[in-house]
Amino acid sequence: MRLLNKITLNLFAISLFIFMIGMVVFYYVLRQQVDSNINLELKKREISLNKEFDAAHSSINQTVNLNDTIIITPISQPKAAETFSDTLLFNPETSKYALFRQLGFVKTIHNQDYYIQIFKPLEETDRLIIRIIIMMNILIVIIILTLIIANRHSSRQDWKVFYDTIAKVNNYDVNSHEEFMLQHSDIREFEDLNRVLSTMTERIKNDYLNLKEYIENASHEIQTPLAIINSKMELLLQSGDMKEKQYKTVADAYEASNRLSRLNKTLILLAKIENRQFPESKPVNPAIMINHQLESLEDLIYAKKIKVVKQVEEQVTVLMNPYLAEILLVNLIKNALRHNIPGGDLKIELTGNSLVIANSGPALTLDPDMLFKRFHTSSSSPESLGLGLSIVQKICTMYGFKVSYSYQNNMHVMLVVFNKG
Amino acid sequence: MKILIVEDEKPLSDSMVEYLAEEGHLCEAVYNYLDATEKINMYQYDCVVVDINLPDGNGLDLIRLIKKQSITLGIIIISALNSLENRIEGLEIGADHYLTKPFHLAELNAHLKSVNRRISYGGSNQIIFNEIRLIPDEHKAFVHDAEIILTKKEYELLLFFISNKNKVITKAGLAEYLWGDYMDLADSYDFIYTHIKNLRQKMLKKGCEDYIKTIYGLGYKFGLN
Repeated sequence: MRLLNKITLNLFAISLFIFMIGMVVFYYVLRQQVDSNINLELKKREISLNKEFDAAHSSINQTVNLNDTIIITPISQPKAAETFSDTLLFNPETSKYALFRQLGFVKTIHNQDYYIQIFKPLEETDRLIIRIIIMMNILIVIIILTLIIANRHSSRQDWKVFYDTIAKVNNYDVNSHEEFMLQHSDIREFEDLNRVLSTMTERIKNDYLNLKEYIENASHEIQTPLAIINSKMELLLQSGDMKEKQYKTVADAYEASNRLSRLNKTLILLAKIENRQFPESKPVNPAIMINHQLESLEDLIYAKKIKVVKQVEEQVTVLMNPYLAEILLVNLIKNALRHNIPGGDLKIELTGNSLVIANSGPALTLDPDMLFKRFHTSSSSPESLGLGLSIVQKICTMYGFKVSYSYQNNMHVMLVVFNKG
Repeated sequence: MKILIVEDEKPLSDSMVEYLAEEGHLCEAVYNYLDATEKINMYQYDCVVVDINLPDGNGLDLIRLIKKQSITLGIIIISALNSLENRIEGLEIGADHYLTKPFHLAELNAHLKSVNRRISYGGSNQIIFNEIRLIPDEHKAFVHDAEIILTKKEYELLLFFISNKNKVITKAGLAEYLWGDYMDLADSYDFIYTHIKNLRQKMLKKGCEDYIKTIYGLGYKFGLN
């Protein structure tokens, strides 16, 4: 169904329903008002009747009941026929003038024309009209409010799919492994929109996956030629009958191809983490891994005269792939060592829900947000690939951990908050 | 040691044969799965170097076949596929080591030496180079029969040097051997420098000759001039 039709139909159905209810309510309210008006009039009649009875049995002058007043005046000139008009009459009971409706007509009795006036009080009917108007206004306001509320509610139901779609498109991540599923709607425009969006995202995703696959294949295919280049150069270096200058040339080329190999290996690793090709998770004990890493780095720690301050809860376990856990820890610890100053501190704190690795060092001159970007290296170590922290972040993202950098008390602090959900 | 190299990339295979032949190994090379099975059925080898991706088969199947014939035979996997499952599966079915392409020939050589020790002496032998004696089982090193206390990395370094004696050893090769893949290796060169400095000092103190020669801009060479 078209959106416009849907809205119109909804509004029509709601209005019909509300007006029907309104009519019934209105009938009863009106009924009650009229009844009370009539009651009032009957009451008045009762009073005047009582007075009449009293007057009949006493000498008191009969009081005038304006309701029953008939004024008969003989006329000589023929008058116009019946006339209705408003008039004020003095009510001796209340000593006030009151509004009356009068009818005047001519009656001929025994060839004599008489002008006869009869009266009906307007006061009560006026009151009734005002009451009815007030009632009607209240009812109309109530009806309109209900209409608006009901309409909004029903529209919200219709638009829900639309808002859901917007939210999903907003959060769409081409890297995510969740299916892009949109809700079904009975409104044609929304259904069209969802269909277009679904095909579009599917196409984007396919393009993206193709591209990714291409890059991954390329990376894998590069490995073998690189292996050949490296091995040939290694052989060349062993040959021993080269001049120093040639040695240097080969050494530089060898160094470069090694760099390329490492880069390639690291990029493949990043792609694998992104593709979630490390599925099996099990409880790993970071404390043991930290100790192991510190042990294997002890020479360097000693050489740089770095003081290791460790506050590690030995029993903590984290559910993740052991291999990735090791890569994560090694990169963080080595990073903290590399950027440490001689005689500085290396602080490692591990609790049930966070890991802090901090090292001494001068404040960063670059934007901390750039730290986790790929290929971002500080000028002080041009040989670095600039992928270490990128790997750290990828692993953290995969497990829903939060990794952040801060600079406190002359220390670079890396904080990893584990996901305990 | 008699080695069969199963690698479909001929230039790479040639490099391995050349390097290992210089080390005194007897190497044969085949370039596909079928030839490999034939060779294995006909001849006796001490060690097989297998690529997992062969044009006509899977190197892992080849390893299973080899292990059916001889349990003790040494196996080293070389592969461009560095997936963890492959690595674990390879090691589970009896491979001794798993190297990811591109690798260093010196690294392959060091692993072959340790395979050789395992199959020849059950790993309990000693490695002797002039006045230096290593006991791999206990990770102990002796100079002139006096023990020198080495850290784990220093011991590995010395073992790697002796395995590749008289060869030019590049810093990159050393770094990868000591630290493995995926580490940002930039500073590993500094690390290596530290390790070598310490190792040299400890050995010289025990009256050992200075075998470690620095080759400027490239790496090191271990051995006599």
